[in-house]
Amino acid sequence: MMSAPNLLELHNISKSFGALTALRDLSFHIGPSEVVGLLGDNGAGKSTTVNLISGIHKPTSGHLSVDGKKTQFTCRSDSADAGIETIYQNTALVDSLSITRNIFMGRERTDAFGFLKQAEMRDIAMEVLEKAVHISGIDSPDKLVGDLSGGQKQAVAIARAVFFKRRVLLLDEPTSALSVRETEALLAQVLKLKAEGVSSVLVTHNLYHAYQVCDRFVIMSHGTKVFDVQKADTSISQLTEYVVLT
Amino acid sequence: MTDTAVPKSRTKKQSLLKQIMTMPAGAILLVFATLQIVCIAGALAFPDDFRYLSPQNLTILMKAIPVLGCLALGAGILMIAGEFDLSIGSVYTLTAVLMASLVDGGMSAFIAAPLGILLGVMIGLLNGTITLRFGLPSFIVTLGGLLFWRGAVLLYNGAVQVRFDPEPAFSSLFAGTLFGINAAFIWIVLFVIGFYLLLHRHKLGNHLFATGGNPAAATAIGINTDRVKMIAFAIAGGMAAVAGIIATARVGSVQPGQGAGLELQAIAACVIGGLSLRGGRGSVIGIFLGVMLIHTITDVLLLLRAPGFYLDMFIATLIVVAAAFNHLIERRGAA
Repeated sequence: MMSAPNLLELHNISKSFGALTALRDLSFHIGPSEVVGLLGDNGAGKSTTVNLISGIHKPTSGHLSVDGKKTQFTCRSDSADAGIETIYQNTALVDSLSITRNIFMGRERTDAFGFLKQAEMRDIAMEVLEKAVHISGIDSPDKLVGDLSGGQKQAVAIARAVFFKRRVLLLDEPTSALSVRETEALLAQVLKLKAEGVSSVLVTHNLYHAYQVCDRFVIMSHGTKVFDVQKADTSISQLTEYVVLT
Repeated sequence: MTDTAVPKSRTKKQSLLKQIMTMPAGAILLVFATLQIVCIAGALAFPDDFRYLSPQNLTILMKAIPVLGCLALGAGILMIAGEFDLSIGSVYTLTAVLMASLVDGGMSAFIAAPLGILLGVMIGLLNGTITLRFGLPSFIVTLGGLLFWRGAVLLYNGAVQVRFDPEPAFSSLFAGTLFGINAAFIWIVLFVIGFYLLLHRHKLGNHLFATGGNPAAATAIGINTDRVKMIAFAIAGGMAAVAGIIATARVGSVQPGQGAGLELQAIAACVIGGLSLRGGRGSVIGIFLGVMLIHTITDVLLLLRAPGFYLDMFIATLIVVAAAFNHLIERRGAA
């Protein structure tokens, strides 16, 4: 076992929606500076897991631990306070607003009266775009997000998470809307963040993308974990088998 | 706004015209400026037949714009948040009738007017509560409000005109003149500045755009979209009452039927001003230019002694063209 406490642990979590049991006795953890692939076919319970970790759903039984301490997320800001940011496929940005305004959405820098400190936010956004993300084509933080490509949008969402000092990024199907080049850039970004101490969870059913960057794989089926393995101890064909056959 | 040292961009430098067209409210600004130039040129060329620049005409314009302006600002904020309020025309009449009859009963207008605004805000909050609690389209809820409050005016007051006879200080505050400029027009300019600061320079404005532009994203980032929408509903109701006060102070009486159709004109002004019917897009300057454009066209047609139905046809065309144009811009943005 590791010496440092795990950033996030799920302990025996079950979640039912009425008669439907979405998750059954699910346990896994996310360690520091680790990229975990959360894999599974459609309906395996990945989305419910993501929503649970983001604080949108509450577990029916079981609990979460952050840094080894038992905790409960009742809303999204609880998970944000714990340093967890979920990056959804396309939903986290507002197309009709600029990059700057999206980065500071809900966390605006304002004066005592609530008026925006536009110049300050713009400068920070510029810096974030230059340092944290290098996706080509974004030349100004004043650009409308609606004018960006899928990969550029995701880069903005990641830049936002990084700027607000998140320690765990939950990437929900991050590559499904991206071009090949954008996918490569995104995966490189995930590795770069790992080197800086930010853990990521790739929630996906694209095994190849996951295999490229993940240190460990958690495979889900029918609402529970069926396999949890280090990359060194497995192969892509074994992973495929678990996803398809369980 | 200045782009300094833009690194190699693959997009070509656009022409000035295209740049203006893609600015928020750029197209409407262009149309408005062109119309003004034509009108002013016409007025200078035919000063006797086309009295556009006569002091009387300018006064009429300045008096007419604030009422629709207040309604449109309120309706516009709500549209940006992704909801509609069709009841504002009825609320405008109801609150004015309430204020006028309270003053008639001996109350100071300085107390009656805030009470009217309070009633407007309450009705806005009621619209919001019903819409959000039951997950209904606000279009339907406020259509109900339109009919309900229109009936309530007749129930409360009957179909008779109410005299409004406030203390002189109140009249001069809302219907007087300052440096030759109509007080109501000064009010609307102040409101436009205030709404500009709120919508484009304040945190709440950012949340309004997010709520209307992408509710899922707004919620995901931790914005309480219901609260934001409630504030917008309250503002729409309150501004309807303010419009009622300004109109009543000017005319000195309230007609129970006076608000009919104003809600549609207000929404029309917003659409002409570049607001998206789906929410999340628009600007305060666009709303104001939309209002000015409607009134300028009305005025020109009156000066030309054109029959009233031309006005309706003109505005109708303008709305459809504006909506089509906005849709094009939106699709370009979404691509």
